Amino acid sequence: MDWLWQWHNVGLTWLPFLGMVIGAVIVLLIGLGVVTYEIYFERKVLGWMQGRIGPNRVGPLGLFQSFADILKLLIKEDVVPEKADRSLFLLAPVIAFIPSFMVLAVIPFSRTHVFTANLSIGALYYLALSAITIHGVMLGGWASNNKYALIGGMRSAAQMLSYEIPLGLSLVGVVLMAGSLNLNDIVAAQRTWWFVIPQILGFLVFLVAATAELNRTPFDLPEAESELVAGYHVEYTGFRFAFFMLTEYLYMFAMAGLAATLFLGGWLGPWLPGWLWFAIKVAAFIFFQFWLRATMPRLRVDQLMSFSWKVLLPVALLNLVITAVVKAWV
Amino acid sequence: MNLHPALIAFFIIALAILSAAISFLTLRKVIYMALAIGAVFIGCAAVYILLGAPFVGIAQVLIYAGAITILIMFAIMLTNHEEMEPPFRWTLRNGASAVFCVLLAAALLWIIRSQAWPAQGGTDINRGRSNPAAIGLELFQHYTVAFELVSLLLVVALVGAVMLAQARKEDE
Repeated sequence: MDWLWQWHNVGLTWLPFLGMVIGAVIVLLIGLGVVTYEIYFERKVLGWMQGRIGPNRVGPLGLFQSFADILKLLIKEDVVPEKADRSLFLLAPVIAFIPSFMVLAVIPFSRTHVFTANLSIGALYYLALSAITIHGVMLGGWASNNKYALIGGMRSAAQMLSYEIPLGLSLVGVVLMAGSLNLNDIVAAQRTWWFVIPQILGFLVFLVAATAELNRTPFDLPEAESELVAGYHVEYTGFRFAFFMLTEYLYMFAMAGLAATLFLGGWLGPWLPGWLWFAIKVAAFIFFQFWLRATMPRLRVDQLMSFSWKVLLPVALLNLVITAVVKAWV
Repeated sequence: MNLHPALIAFFIIALAILSAAISFLTLRKVIYMALAIGAVFIGCAAVYILLGAPFVGIAQVLIYAGAITILIMFAIMLTNHEEMEPPFRWTLRNGASAVFCVLLAAALLWIIRSQAWPAQGGTDINRGRSNPAAIGLELFQHYTVAFELVSLLLVVALVGAVMLAQARKEDE
């Protein structure tokens, strides 16, 4: 069974290749399952926080609601606007989705690293690939030939690009402390204490920048319903629209995994098995996102950019300098 | 010829890069060309990763395929919606460019072929360390001055960009 569990340590021959394919399929299925229930719990949690019941009709406690919604999306008519740039319109959801799935490759889900690529540059890989998604969002907005979609796409690209810089800088403190960009090594370096304690400043910057990267409240300007209808995917229907939504929720899962790995000790934890600890930390991050959505109003456009450049970036740089000084002299 | 898996991968990647580059030249719509150049950048990143330099490869994706392609798209989208390249015509300038391109390709090929390259798998470029650690040591031990000069250049460019943007604001 060595080829199945240790494929990242052996050379590329047919059996490890098969292991990689199986791993990718399983991670895809896990991702889809997580996304399905993310949507269900988002609606349920929002309902509870607003004194409502939330979805409760399809299946016991409404547990099959998301499946019904997905089925509805899949059998809807697939509309491509007549004046849209057809090939780009069709390509954009694909460009947006592929990186969101690829970033899951470096997230260490469990102690045994069954489906984790042992990349020496894991943290950077996440940042680089998530930048590719911006192309999909922007092209989708542009190809729709709709002013709301274009404005939404532009806002989204500007926001995701400018918040990627504080996000990346907030990771550097963790990388400095662990002495590695490899996410597996970063988890292993947190055996004495989780990095959220010494890197609390970096964690706060990460939390804000991650929320903005995910385009979630209070940073959901790209799809501000009240002013932009729905932003960049306003012209999309059926399963192409589903792909954009899938991308967003898959990124929420991946970002939760990244937060758990970098700051909350990944699969480390007493008594319970590693994968369960990881699941608990991921669920806590995702719940925090829902909680924020139920609590916060939306930022104004003019506040958005200056907040990233004038507040988050200096704080992240300060954290970096402090970490470097402490690491060098203490 | 020994068909090593890395060699097969190289041929597939090279084919992808070349077809993206050719479509970059043949496509007439500027936004498609931006997308094609993004594909070329990603293909180059794949070659770097194949050669055992994942840091350079990912940096290529982050900076070129990510930031620079997005900047190009921003420029295209904010200026002219239906920007099309005019159809190709043979002029004196195009002919001269073609001749010089062929000459450049020949010169490059000649220089590459006349080098004595290390045999495949002969040297470990990372010297037993992980790739980012090897790059960091090399950068801060052998090329410290060059590295600092490059960062100085970037700071100058940054300050220049801020100055330009500020002058624009005062005009309005």
